[in-house]
Formats: sequence, structure tokens, C-alpha cells
Amino acid sequence: MSLIDRVRDLDNKYCFMNAFAEDESNGEGLLKGYAVSVKDNVCVKGVESKAGSKILEGYIPPFDATVVAKSRAEGAAIIGKTTQDEFGFGTFNVNTSYKVPLNPYDPKRSTGGSSGGAACLTAVADFPHVAISESTGGSISCPASWCGVVGITPTYGRVSRWGLIDYANSLDKIGVMAKTVKEAAMFLDVISGPDEYDSTVLKAPVPDFTRMNSVEGMRIGIPKEYLGEGVDPKVEEQVWGSIKKLESMGASISEVSLPHTKYSLSSYYIIAMAEASTNLAKFSGLRYGLQKTIEGDFNQYFSSVRTEGMGDEAKRRVMLGTFIRMAGYRDAYYLKALKVRTKVIEDFKKAFKNVDVLAAPTMPVVAPKFDEIAELEPIQHYMMDILTVAPNLAGVPMVTVPCGEADGMPVGLHLMADHLNEIKALEAAQGVKQE
Amino acid sequence: MKATIGLEIHVHLNTRSKLFCSCTTEIGDKEPNTEVCPICLGYPGSKPKLNRKAVDYGMTIALALESIIEPEIRFSRKNYFYPDMSKNFQITQYEIPLSSGGYLLVGNHKIGITRVHLEEDPAKLTHVGGGITNARETLIDYNRAGMPLVEIVTDPDIESTEEARAFLEKLSLILDHLGVYDPTAEGVLRVDANISIEEGNRVEIKNITGFRNVEKALNYEVVRQKSAMNMGVSIVRETRHFDAGSGITSTLRLKEEEEDYGYIAEPDLVKINLTEDWIGRTKVSMPELPDQRIHRLEAQYGIPRFQANILVHTGLQMSEFFEESCGLYDDHREVCNWLVTYLLKSLNYEGLSLRESNVTPETFVEILELIRGGTISERLAKELIKDYVKTGKSPRKIVEEKNLGLLAEDELREVVVSVVEEFSQAVQDYRSGKSKAVEYLIGQVLRRIRARAAANDVRRLVLEELDQK
Repeated sequence: MSLIDRVRDLDNKYCFMNAFAEDESNGEGLLKGYAVSVKDNVCVKGVESKAGSKILEGYIPPFDATVVAKSRAEGAAIIGKTTQDEFGFGTFNVNTSYKVPLNPYDPKRSTGGSSGGAACLTAVADFPHVAISESTGGSISCPASWCGVVGITPTYGRVSRWGLIDYANSLDKIGVMAKTVKEAAMFLDVISGPDEYDSTVLKAPVPDFTRMNSVEGMRIGIPKEYLGEGVDPKVEEQVWGSIKKLESMGASISEVSLPHTKYSLSSYYIIAMAEASTNLAKFSGLRYGLQKTIEGDFNQYFSSVRTEGMGDEAKRRVMLGTFIRMAGYRDAYYLKALKVRTKVIEDFKKAFKNVDVLAAPTMPVVAPKFDEIAELEPIQHYMMDILTVAPNLAGVPMVTVPCGEADGMPVGLHLMADHLNEIKALEAAQGVKQE
Repeated sequence: MKATIGLEIHVHLNTRSKLFCSCTTEIGDKEPNTEVCPICLGYPGSKPKLNRKAVDYGMTIALALESIIEPEIRFSRKNYFYPDMSKNFQITQYEIPLSSGGYLLVGNHKIGITRVHLEEDPAKLTHVGGGITNARETLIDYNRAGMPLVEIVTDPDIESTEEARAFLEKLSLILDHLGVYDPTAEGVLRVDANISIEEGNRVEIKNITGFRNVEKALNYEVVRQKSAMNMGVSIVRETRHFDAGSGITSTLRLKEEEEDYGYIAEPDLVKINLTEDWIGRTKVSMPELPDQRIHRLEAQYGIPRFQANILVHTGLQMSEFFEESCGLYDDHREVCNWLVTYLLKSLNYEGLSLRESNVTPETFVEILELIRGGTISERLAKELIKDYVKTGKSPRKIVEEKNLGLLAEDELREVVVSVVEEFSQAVQDYRSGKSKAVEYLIGQVLRRIRARAAANDVRRLVLEELDQK
């Protein structure tokens, strides 16, 4: 059976693909023999790339995202586009008019989101595979932890965003998922580094992420705000188990505080929505994606395209984001949120003076069932991200690594490190997985 | 009644590529939508990349206007829906512009500069079957999308429509000298004008192309606002559109309908530090400004101030042409005279700019050499320059082809002899004391040879001939 046929087979069962690429060619390089899947919001030349949104249906990018080009250059076979919440707006990969992926551990449960398809495929692939995924506020960590795979969200600016269909540009980070820490680290090496097409990429040299040291002597901090209330005790038990394991391997454990954590969710959503509402403005049915017969004037036309092409969550974020930017509210919301973000970054900077890595549960609960999700209010959706938004807001790198199960569902340990210090989080993750 | 006018001038910078992508800025005669790429089309997944050359250009403009350059600049998104916008936001500068403050002297009047900033141009709209408000359909050409613009905002210091025009002329001369724009390109300079009269409300006229139209639009507004006031109608605060065809302005939107642009920082572009070093390098490489140039030409070439003024105000190309010509011909006053008096006149007569014509300093000085070497008369040279300007042909060639060179003495004598023989009546008249007959004979000679001999030489030879017989 060919690779693509095998992917189609799996997709029939788990629903993780939005589009298939016919690329089976494998050149020489670090990714020789690997299939690479690409989150739907990352452009692949010649393959429909719609970020899970109907308004981009039919958009065939005329160029490859830098991460895709770099993967190809290392011999990868690009197999297609994985499902996601529309534009990344969600935590369960249910906010989309396309496929909703099923959790490999229990099809009644969500894979998590927004990179749900990437996590699902990474878990079920029975061939060498790594996934290009993307996180704005936790969209890599959440689904990776709920599907029991490794996910790396690199430092903001480590990986080029050229070719990423933006959600919130100052927060968006392209990262990776894989079955093992080693594969994820190898793949991160492939896609990292300066890129003339993205000015926000850092000039810092990229270390060999696969050269991981042991955790002996590593200082691990446990942010007290990340445990206790709101975290399922069964999840916490698994997390503590893995932390103890790291301690037994020679790491030192201490409690730290990230005092601005409680403001990070509001700050994150304000900045994310403000940026998202400007990013989505370009989708007006004129040059690509969904088009209709032109009737009425320009305003009437693009409004009708957007009414049809955007889901409820997208519309909600456009409205909230626009409100946040309006004269009279801009200072109180947008500008204040930017100030809070600085405070959140300071929290992390201060913590990383004394510890190498912060450890916490990736998600407060295991993957919820679809019927539970249907009962949640939007604010409860947003609350799910409470443990992932602060590091995402701060732009620090984070790795989620499977660390046991609760109620038969995987639990992830979240390991966060200082800017550009991915290697430390990877070392800790490798320690957790070590036999 | 006193008018208060402030201008916002948008100038296309002539960098090689657009502001945020590598598409060319040479879009003048290109097929619509051919000079485009995913960035200027705002394709999903694309990101802007700042053309630092545009920052250089913006800086030289700021420096020429004595505007204070900000140490750290960044870009913002100005959000509004309009069909000429590829992203439905424009990348511009909001909180911190490239520079603030400064002034431009118009006569003795200091016109304050509020700010100078960089931004991208939207696409070009062509309304088919009507105007902006009632067109049947509108075509979009994205070639213009992403063109680098500098926006220069003045304080409301301008007091008349004439002063507005004088300001723009001076500004464009400076831009020309800085080499940051192409004055011949279509729509290279677009202006939004704010005008109020006495205590009246401020009215903004959007998107006027060219100086003459700015003056026209402002004149129209002055008349409109004055007559409204005289009739006791109050002027409402609004934005108006100027129709260049009919020369009138009409309401575009009222103040209450003004957009809220919901600015946010452009997150795809990083902050840019305009270091002392960078500013210093720009200062050092600043081209000469018009006023400096007038003084230098006067001193260096010994030409009168009024002529230096004409050379410089005609445009940078003219004074460069002068200097190059001076490098080829040592009588600089003569170069200047012929340039200012005759070449310029002929260019104007043909409706050509120096740029559009084919004249060059090398061929131009041939004329002076031909006169000095005695090959042609000054009078013929003045005739010849018309042909020269029209065709751009080498004057030496023109002289050869049209046989315009001065006649040698024996050649001239032959003509004189034949005239004296032919007009025997006149010769008799002369001999019988009618001295006027000489003038008649000279006239006949000159008619035959046109201006290929000096009049004095003709007179001498005619008299010699008459006195012999």
C-alpha cells in the first residue's frame, strides 16, 4: 500500500486531513523516509490551504511556507493538510465546517485544538511521520498532550512564519509534533533559523536540538499558580509522578511564582482578537477563496461573503477584536493588554533566573467528550487555555511530553524554558521518556 | 477673508522596488495587475518585508525639511474596508512617524511641517461608466498596491491658494534635487487639502493629483465657502472629493461618518532603530538642496543670480545640464546665456522638458563652438537651435546638411558680383547719387545667402564692387 493510501485509510477512521498532497517523492536529507503533514493554515504550494475556514475554500497558495520548503529540502514527503479549528480559533478542533478529528484513545473525545489533525495523525501514524503544527495560545501543547504525543512550541521568532495564514502574528509560532522527543527535536532543527521573508525571525544561531544532556543538575521550577484549583487531581498525580522521576534522575525541584498568571488570559485574548480581526479583514471574496456573484456595492458584497464563509467563532473574534481597537476602548483594552504582556514576560524572566525549566500540567483536564464540549460557554472554552496562554504570551519555548494516563486518556507534562532555550525543555522531556 | 490651509502630500518614492516586496516600482505603462506578487496582493501566508531604501529616502526628505528624525520607528495597521486595499488595512505609521516638526520657507513665510511618515499605496481604481459615487463598475489595478509613499503633513500655516501652490512647487523642487521621486510619473504627487475660512469648519478635500488641481480645488472651495457664508449657510465639517474634469468638489462623507481606523502595531514588522550612525550617513550623502545650488552656481561659474535661479528652478536636470556643458566649454557666462535665453525658450515652444528632448551637453556646446570658430553667425545659431531642440541632431550635422556655414570671402564676392550684374538699375541709381540703392543691393545679397555672412562683410564687398565699376 502506498503511503498516501495508508494515510487515507487512517483518515477514514480518524478524520484528520483537510487536503491530500500527491507528493511521495523522497530526496536525501534528515527527513528522508519521513512523511510530513502540514497544519491547514500553513501554505503548501499547489495544495488547497484554507486554515479550516470556508472563506478560504479553493485557495491554492502559489508558494510554499518556509517550513515546508525547508522540509522538502531535507527529503520529506509532504502528505497534506491536517485539520484545525477555523484560523486556530478553538481548543477542541470543533470550530470548523470541515472534518472534526477523533481522539485516537476514544473517538467520543476531542483531539484538542487547534492543531487537532496534526496531533491525531502523529498518534496513529504507523510510518515515520512528523507534523508541522502551529500555536498561538496553546494549539500545539493542548492537542499533543490529549493525543499522547510530543509537541514543541519554539521561542517566538525561532521559526519563520512566512506562509502561515495568520491568526495573531505577534503570538503565532510554527512548531512540531512527533512520537518521540528525539524526532521532534530533529524536525525543529530542520525548520528553525533566519529567513529573509519573515522580519520577526531572530538572528540567533540554532543549536543542534538533538544533542540533549541528562537532567542531572537541572533546576526545575513548579509554578504554584499552575497547580491546585481547576486542575483535575488525577492529571496532577501523573504530573507529580513525572516530576519526581526527574528529581530522582538528579534534577532539583523548587516552587516558583508567576504572579501575573491570572491576568494573562485576558491579555492574551485581547491581543489575539485585536490582531485576528485585522488579519481576517482581507478575506473579502475578491481575489481568492470563497467568491459569490457580485451583487450590490462593495460593502454588501464582502459582507455577504463573510456571512457565509466565516463560522460563529470567527465572527465573534472579529467583532470583539474590532471593538477592542475602537477609539475610546483602545487604551483601556488593547494598550493595557500590551502592558500586561510585558509584566507576564517579566514573570518568566524572573523565574528563569533561578530555574532552567518550569514544569506544569499541559492541560488541566484530559480530553473532554464531544457532548461535554457542546455544553460549554465560550468563556469556558477560553478557560481551558489557562495553563498554556501565559508561556505563549511570553513567547517562551515549551514542550509537552506524555507522562501517563488518567481515566485511560493521556496526560501531558508541560516543560517551559527561557527564550531560545528550547534545548533545556527538550532535555527534561527526554528525561521523562527515559526508561 | 482669511483662509487657513494645511496639506497632506503623498509622494511616490522612486526606489527600485515596492515598500514591502521586491516588485518593481516602474509600473507606468505596464498592463494592469502584472507587477504584483503574493505580498502586495495580500495573499494569505505572505508577510511584508521593509525596503530599507525607502527609509533612507524618507530620511533625506525629513532632513531637507529640518524635521526631527525619531530614534525608533515602527509601522501600524490602519484598518478600513475599501476595494483598493489588498488587505483591507494599510501599513502606515501612526504613533511614531519617521520624523516630526520642521518647516519649509515659502518666500519669507515659514510653513510648519507636522510630520513625515512612510506608508504603502493602495491599488488604483478605475471607475467605469460614472464617477466615484455612481460608476457602473470599478476596475482594480494592483500594480500600484504597495508602492512606497512618503506622506508629508504641514501645519495649518498656509494662508492662500497661491501660497499652497508655491509651497508645492518648492517642495517638488526639493524632492527633485533629493532624487527621491520621478516628477514625470503619472500621479506621483497626490494631495489631501484641509481648508477653513475665517471661523468656519474645516473641510478636507481628498486625493487631488497635481499642483494645478490643488490650486483649482482650493480656489473652488474658497469661492464655495465664501458664498455659503455670505448667504448665511454654515460650513459643515466634512470630507469632499475633487473632480478634476469638472473642477468642482462634492461631499464624500460627513464628519459623523468618519472612519475609526482601529490602529494596531503591525506585528509582522519589527521596530527599526534609526541610529545616529544611520542618520549621520544619510546626512553626509545628502544631495545639494535648491537654495544651496543657486548660491554655488553663482559663485562657481560667475553667472548672475537671476540666471542661477532660473537654471535651478527649471529642475535639477537643467542645472546639471548647465554644469556638464560648462565642463565642455570654458565661457560659462555664454553657456548660461544660451541655455537660459535660447535653449529654454525653444524647449518651452516645443512643449518639451529637457528630459523629453534629445539635447545633450555635448551637442549643445557644439553651437557655441560653431559660433566661436566662425562657422556660423549668431543669428543663424538662434535659428538652428530650434531645429536642434526639435530633432536632437548634432548642430554640426545640421550646419553641414543645410549648408549653413559662413561663406568664404571669395564665395561671398561671387554672390555680390552676380547681384551687382543682375540689378543694373540699382547700380545706376547708386551712381546717380541715390545712396539708398546700396541698402537694396545688400538686401538682395542677404536674401540669397540668408545669414551665412556677417552684414558688415556684405556691405564692405558691395561697396567695393560698386566703387570698382
